[in-house]
Amino acid sequence: MNIPMSWLRDIIDIPDDTLTFSRRITDAGVKVEGITTSGEAITNVVVGQIKSLERHPDADKLWVTQTDVGANGVLQIVTGADNLKASDYIPVALHGSTLAGGLKIKKSKMRGQESNGMLCSIGELGCTTEDFPYATDEGILVLPEPHPLGVDAKPILGISEDVLDIEVLSNRPDMNAVMGIAREAAAAYGFPFELPEVKVREEGEGNTESLVSVEIRDTERCPRYIARVVRDVKVAPSPRWMQKRLEAAGMRSVNNIVDITNYVMLEYGQPLHAFDIGAVALKDGKHAIVVRTAETSEKITTLDGAERTLTDTVLLIADHEKPLAIAGVMGGDNTKVHDGTPTILFESANFNPENIRKTAKGLGMRTDASAHYEKGIDPNQALTSVNRAMELVELLACGKVVPGIVDNYPVPRLPHTVKFNPENINKRLGLSLSVEEICGYLKRVGIETRENGDLFEAVVPTCFGSDWTEVDLTEEVARFYGYNNIPSRYVQRVTPKVPFQPGMSPRRRFELDVKQAVAGLGYYEACTYPFESPRVADKLLLPADDPMRNYLTLENPLGEDFSVMRTQTVGGLLEGLATNYAKRNGDARLFEIAWEYRPKALPPTELPDELPRLTLAAYGPDVDFPAVKGDIEDLLSVYVSGKWVYEPLTLPYMHPGRTASVSFKPHPKRDAVPVGYVGELHPQAAINFKIETRVYLAVLDLDVLYDLAKSAKTTFTPPSKYPAMIRDLAFTVPETVTAAQAEAAIREKGGQWLTDVTLFDVYQGKQIEAGYKSMAYSLRFSAYDRTLTDESAQKLMAVIRENLNRRINAQVR
Amino acid sequence: MLEKLTQLREEIKRSLVNAVPESIEALRVRMLGKKGEITAVLKGLGQLEPEERRKMGVAANELRDWAQNAIDGAKAAAGATQQAQALSEETIDITLPGRRRGIGRLHPLTQVYGKLEELFISLGFDIVEGPHVETVYHNFDALCTPESHPSRDETDTFYFNDGLLLRCHTSPMQVRVMEKQKPPIRVVVPGKVFRRDDVDATHTPAFHQMEGLVIDKGIHFGDFKGMLELLAAHIFGPQTKIRLRPSFFPFTEPSAEVDITCYICGGKAQHEPCRVCKDSGWVELWGCGMVHPEVLRKSGIDPDIYSGYAFGLGVDRITSALYGISDPRFYFENDMQFLKQF
Repeated sequence: MNIPMSWLRDIIDIPDDTLTFSRRITDAGVKVEGITTSGEAITNVVVGQIKSLERHPDADKLWVTQTDVGANGVLQIVTGADNLKASDYIPVALHGSTLAGGLKIKKSKMRGQESNGMLCSIGELGCTTEDFPYATDEGILVLPEPHPLGVDAKPILGISEDVLDIEVLSNRPDMNAVMGIAREAAAAYGFPFELPEVKVREEGEGNTESLVSVEIRDTERCPRYIARVVRDVKVAPSPRWMQKRLEAAGMRSVNNIVDITNYVMLEYGQPLHAFDIGAVALKDGKHAIVVRTAETSEKITTLDGAERTLTDTVLLIADHEKPLAIAGVMGGDNTKVHDGTPTILFESANFNPENIRKTAKGLGMRTDASAHYEKGIDPNQALTSVNRAMELVELLACGKVVPGIVDNYPVPRLPHTVKFNPENINKRLGLSLSVEEICGYLKRVGIETRENGDLFEAVVPTCFGSDWTEVDLTEEVARFYGYNNIPSRYVQRVTPKVPFQPGMSPRRRFELDVKQAVAGLGYYEACTYPFESPRVADKLLLPADDPMRNYLTLENPLGEDFSVMRTQTVGGLLEGLATNYAKRNGDARLFEIAWEYRPKALPPTELPDELPRLTLAAYGPDVDFPAVKGDIEDLLSVYVSGKWVYEPLTLPYMHPGRTASVSFKPHPKRDAVPVGYVGELHPQAAINFKIETRVYLAVLDLDVLYDLAKSAKTTFTPPSKYPAMIRDLAFTVPETVTAAQAEAAIREKGGQWLTDVTLFDVYQGKQIEAGYKSMAYSLRFSAYDRTLTDESAQKLMAVIRENLNRRINAQVR
Repeated sequence: MLEKLTQLREEIKRSLVNAVPESIEALRVRMLGKKGEITAVLKGLGQLEPEERRKMGVAANELRDWAQNAIDGAKAAAGATQQAQALSEETIDITLPGRRRGIGRLHPLTQVYGKLEELFISLGFDIVEGPHVETVYHNFDALCTPESHPSRDETDTFYFNDGLLLRCHTSPMQVRVMEKQKPPIRVVVPGKVFRRDDVDATHTPAFHQMEGLVIDKGIHFGDFKGMLELLAAHIFGPQTKIRLRPSFFPFTEPSAEVDITCYICGGKAQHEPCRVCKDSGWVELWGCGMVHPEVLRKSGIDPDIYSGYAFGLGVDRITSALYGISDPRFYFENDMQFLKQF
C-alpha cells in the first residue's frame, strides 16, 4: 500500500527523515519497497524575490521585473500579473523548468524584452486556492514568509511529498492501514502508541435507534454491523488535502461522502459503506436493515450498473423488500448516494473473510473493500472507524451527525490468550533474554503478559487475529530484538551416516558427468520451459491420434504458448535453435537434460511420470549426421564401449532416410535395449520452426543410460608390449551394402588379433562402376604375447579378403 | 716431416673457414679417412728411426686429435646454421586462428548450482530432487498454507485440477523428505519452480530454487543466520553485506527474507533510479525461517524434541547477481551469444 509520510507524521512523531525511517521499519518487518515523491512532474522551481519592477515599455499589461534567485543571480523576468511589489517572495520557474500539465519554461523575449523564466501562479504549480487560502486565483503566488533565495520551492509549497510503498504481509492484515503502520513504526522505535482520540459532535434531532434497525440473520458470516446516520447532507468535492492523500494512496477522489469512506478505509483498514437511507424500506417506522444470505438466483444491480445473479452463499445487506448491497463487496445501484441525498446511513460492519473471498471470486468483482475483508479485519475496530467517519463529516461540514449508534455485535471478539515459556523463545532464537526483556518486546505491539503457574500468558490484541501460538510471540521478540542482532552460529560438520551415502547421489553425479561430457563435445547447455503450446505437436508433424498428444493440460496457463506439459523434449530446443537462426548465429549446438511429462491417466488423478531425457540439437556448417552420431558414440563410449547398435528408424518429425535408433546389445543372442535415437529433423518440421537449414537431433533416455552405466564393469587389460601391425584394405561393393555389414564381414574372420577396424574412405563416382562404391579400411592387429610377423598378417588379410568376397560380394582393389 | 704436419694443419684451418657440412665431410675423408693424409703420416711412422719415430709420433697424434676436434666442431656449427636457415624458412603466421574442436559450456544456472552444491556437500548436506508436478497437499496443505493465502490463487499458481499443480516452490520436498526420513535431516533440493507471472524484464513463469532443510535437536535462529552468512561469503565474497528482514511464510516462524547489497548500483542508490533494487540498495535473494512446529507435527516429527530451519534460494537471482545479468529472460532464450559467455 502507498502511504504519504505526512499521514504517518500526523499520527506519530517520527524523529527521522523518510529514508532513515523507511530503513528502520523495514528492519523491523514493515518492508518499504520504494519511495516515490509526489509533485515530481514539477521541476526547477525556486524561491525568488522581486528586487524591482516597472511597466513594460511596449505593453500596457506587462511588467518587467528584476528577480533575485540566489545562486543564479538577478534575472529579468516579464510577467502579466498585477499583484506584485518589490520585496515579494515568489516561486520562480527557471529556464528549462517544467510546470503542471507538462508546461516547459524557456528563455524568451516578450514584446522585445528578455524574460529569463517565469513567475508562477498557483494554477501553474498544480494547486488551487484550497491549498493556499491566502493566494489569489489570478496573479502570482506571493509567499507569506521570507525564505532563502534559490532553494527548491516544492517542499516549501508542500507540493512534493514522499510516499512509501509498503508490502503488506498476508498474515498481518492489521498492517493494511495507516494506523497499523503507525503502530508498527512506533514499536520499531520503542515509542508508546495509542490510537488518536476520535471526537464525534452529534447534533440535530432524534436518534439513530429510532430511525434504523439492524437484524443479522447469519452471525457466522456477519459478526458485527454498526449503523450511524448523517442528516442534511451536502454532497460536494472534498478538500484538497484529502484528495491529495487519496490520490497519493492510489485512489480517485469522487465526492466528500465517498472520499470519507475511502479515507477511513485507508486509515483504519475498515471498509465503510454509505447508503441513501431513503432507499431502505421502512418496517415498524424504522429503516430496517437485514443481513442475510441471498436466495439462489436472486438478482441485484450493483453500483457499476451490472446486474448480478447470486448464489445462496452470497451475503446480502437488504431491507425487507429487496437487496441493497452485496456485503463487503459492492453496494447496490438503488441506494447510491447522489447530489440530492438528504440522509445517509453509514455502515461499518465485519464479515467473514473466507465468505467474502468466495463471493468476490465467484462474481469476478474484487473491490478495494473486498480485498480488505478477505484479509480479515478486527471487528473491534468497526466502532472507532465509523466514529472517525463522523468526525470527518463534521470537519468537512458535509452533514449533521444524528445522535446514537445502532451496533449489532452479538459475540464480541475477545483478546486471545497464548501460553508461552520464555525458555522456548530463547531456545528457538539462540538468545538468553530475561523474562522482562521478552515481555518488554511483546508490550511494544500491545501484547500484555502475565505469569500463570510455571508458564506465562500473553494477551494478544484482537487486531492480530486469534490463531497465534508461542512461535508467533517468538517472531515478535526476534523482530524487536532485531534479526540482524541475533548472533550467528556456524554449522558443525556432521558424523557420517553408516552405511555412508555421498551427499551427491551417484545418479546426480552421473547427470553432471553427462552434462560435462556433452559440453566437452561442443554443445551448450540450454534451459527451456517444460510447458509449451499444443501446436508444437503440429509443427512436429505428429498425427492427430499420436499418443504424444495426450497432454497434461494446465487449467490456468499464461496463454496457449505455455498451456501443456510437454511429452517430448525436442520442441524446446528447436525453439532455441530457431532463436539462434533468426539472429543469424552461424551455428548453434544446444543440449539439455529435461523431462517428458507422461500422464498415467487423463484426466489426471495422480502424479505423472517425469521421464528425463538428454537431448542434443544442432545446426551449422560442420553439423551433419556423422558429426552428431559421432558425438553420441563418443558420449556412449564413456559408459559402455562397443555393443551399440544403430538401425533405421521412422518418426513423424525425423528425416525418413537419416534417422537411427540407438540401442545397446549386451550379447549377440540377447535383445537390444533401446536407448534413444539420432538423426536429421524432418526438413518440413525444420521449416515449421522457421529454421531454413538442416537440423540434427539426438534424444537419449537418461534412466536407461544410467542403468547401463551402473551395471557396466570397468575391467583392466594390460596394454600389449609388442608393436601393432597396421594394414589397409580397399574394396568395391554393391552400393546397398552398409558399413555395418562390411565391418561385420571383416571382423567375422579377423581373429583374436584384430583390434581396430577403421573406415577411412567411401567413394562413388569416376573409376567406380555404377551401382558400386569403394570402401577403404585400416585394420590394426596386435597380440599380447608376440610381435606379429608380416607373414601372419598376410595370411589373415587373405582370409578376410576371401570372406568379404563371399559375404558382401566385395572386389578387392 | 714436421713441415708437412704444419702444412696439413694450415690447410685444415683454411678449409674450415665458412665450410658447409658436405665440404667438411670431404675434408675429413681427405685428412682422417682410411687413405687420408694424416692417416698416411701415422702409417708411415713405422719406417722412421726410433728416435725420430717417437718425436714425430707425438706431433702426428697431436695433429690427428686436433684435426678431429676441429672438424667435429665445424660440422656441428655448420649443421646448426643450416638447420636454423631451414627452420626460418618454415616460419608461419602464429596469429592464424587455431583449429578448434569447439568446447561447449554448462548453463550459467547449472554452474551456480554447482557452486552451491559444492558448499552444501562439504557441510554434510544431501542433495535430493523432487517432481515438478505436485499435489496440492505437498505444495500447500502440509506446509500449513491457509486457504486464503494469495499463493494458492489461480492467478499465482498453475493448476491441473483441484489436486494437482506445478510446484510453486521447492518446499514440498521438505514434506517428502520428512515423510521418509527421521532427523537429523540436512538436505538441499535444487530444481525448477513455477509461478504464474507473465514474462517480463523481472519475471519468468519458471525459475530455479534451492531449498534447504535442517532438522535436529537444538537448532535455532542463529544457525540459519550462520548458514546464510557462509553461503553469502561463498557465493558473493566477503565484501557483500546481507540483511535479514522479518517476513511471512506459512511454514516457518519466525520467517525472514534475506537481501544482499544491490549488484547493479552496489547498494549506493537510495534515491537514484536503479531498476534492479528499485532504489532501495538491496536485492531480495531468498526466504528462510525456523520450520513451523505444525509442519513438523504434520510430517510426524515431534516439535518438542526437534527444531529446524528451512530456506529457499532464488538461483536465477543469485546468478544474475554474480554476472550482473539484468533480465531473467536471457536464461530461457538459449541464444548462443549469451550461452558462450559463461
